[in-house]
Amino acid sequence: MAFEHHDEGHYTVVKIDESRFDASIAEAFKTYVFDLIEEGKSEIVVDLAAVRFMDSSGLGALVAGLKKLSGNGSFSLASAQPAVKDLFDLTSMDKLFKLHDSVDEAVKGD
Amino acid sequence: MNILIVEDARDQRLMLSVVLKKQGHKVLEAENGKEALAILQEHQEVRIIISDWMMPEMDGLELLKETRKSDLGRYIYFILLTGNTDHEAVVEGMNHGADDFLAKPVNFDELAARLKAGIRIIELEKQLEQQKQQLVQAIETVEKDLESAAKAQEVLLAQPATIQHVSFDWFFKPSKILGGDMFGYQAIDGETLSFYQLDVAGHGIPSALFSFTLNNILSESSGRGSIVKEKSDQEPFYKVRAPEKVLASLNKRFQVTPESMLYFTIAYGHINSRSGEVTVSQAGHPPPLWIRREKASVEPVAGGGVPIGMMPDMDYTSCTLQFQPGDRLFLYSDGVTECENTEGEQFGESRLLQCLMDTLNDDLKSVIDQVEKNVRDWSELDRFDDDVTYLLLEWKP
Repeated sequence: MAFEHHDEGHYTVVKIDESRFDASIAEAFKTYVFDLIEEGKSEIVVDLAAVRFMDSSGLGALVAGLKKLSGNGSFSLASAQPAVKDLFDLTSMDKLFKLHDSVDEAVKGD
Repeated sequence: MNILIVEDARDQRLMLSVVLKKQGHKVLEAENGKEALAILQEHQEVRIIISDWMMPEMDGLELLKETRKSDLGRYIYFILLTGNTDHEAVVEGMNHGADDFLAKPVNFDELAARLKAGIRIIELEKQLEQQKQQLVQAIETVEKDLESAAKAQEVLLAQPATIQHVSFDWFFKPSKILGGDMFGYQAIDGETLSFYQLDVAGHGIPSALFSFTLNNILSESSGRGSIVKEKSDQEPFYKVRAPEKVLASLNKRFQVTPESMLYFTIAYGHINSRSGEVTVSQAGHPPPLWIRREKASVEPVAGGGVPIGMMPDMDYTSCTLQFQPGDRLFLYSDGVTECENTEGEQFGESRLLQCLMDTLNDDLKSVIDQVEKNVRDWSELDRFDDDVTYLLLEWKP
């Protein structure tokens, strides 16, 4: 299974268990997160610790999740590796997502 | 059905032959395995073999092995005749690919029933083969269509040219037949040229179609709907729209829905062909590289914004550079820097910068070729995993 999730407080932590977050799993991730949102989960933290490489399709899937919430909740990211951070930097996506150093920090609350 | 009987005992062979012919089958006969193999090669229509086990020259089991080994272009349904209910023989026969068994002496009702089962299998196999052929043809049609679409895409690409003292050259290589990268340049008025290079997320047909649309929109420089100009109260009643405003209006126009993930990154800019002033605005794109001849340096152009389509109401900024004669700007898609070698290491910006430094005094075409060579040498593959595109311009007043 490429993805799994568990609840921490009122947060839902979604872990991506793949080293490449690209076109081959982007669609599946989107479906996975959409299902969670449709079940009523609205505080989502995506754990990127295992992801070594992300491409534009991966980014697109994250944005799709963010847009699906359409402002009713939060969608943040945790534990991004340097290469993934670079991608967020390059694409200025850090303007759209909160990047946390760890899942613990992400679920500590606002 | 065309059936081959392999049996060394002449009377047995004849009897089987007569019975099968009566049931309406076409029958060929062989005395041993060797003869049978020759007949199989020659008569493509044979689909079922009924073979005795013990025979001189080549026995039934050997014939079975040879049949399964050779590439006959069709499945042969193989029925082995066994002397008695010898379980070990049955197991050995099955292990070597026998489809069915018939005990001797042959009961003809049972033979007819077992043949029926065989014929069902052969018919299924024929259907599968036909469906496979149809699929192969369908794929060929799709690929032909894609190739003509790729030709259409090539026609859209601007040709290397010098416009108002600004020279342009480029490299464009989709990873599949069609790509989601695009670029262009044109004169907007007597002293302003626009240029861009963009990369639609993903590759393949949806991305390519979107890149076609964007090319149309960005190359429309006259008329009321043009995105590169805006209205003005004074003569000539238009002014060139600033790059950051062009990006903001593209972003307004193309918002992705949660269901579609088609967004794009772009570097878009203007160059004033008289003054050499360059203005560049970016949306999630790799920073263009400013190649400064006199200073002998290559510098990434700062600034950046969110890719187009990600979020509504994004502001974009632009960066202004004062070119000296001979200065160049290199715009590229991430397929260049993210190209991986066999160890999974990316080509990266620093190698690209070095390559541009090394070719500081070469002409545009040589720079284009040299970058391609470096990236290809890096990847060691004859294809790229992502679309690879770059655009180089030079100001020489």
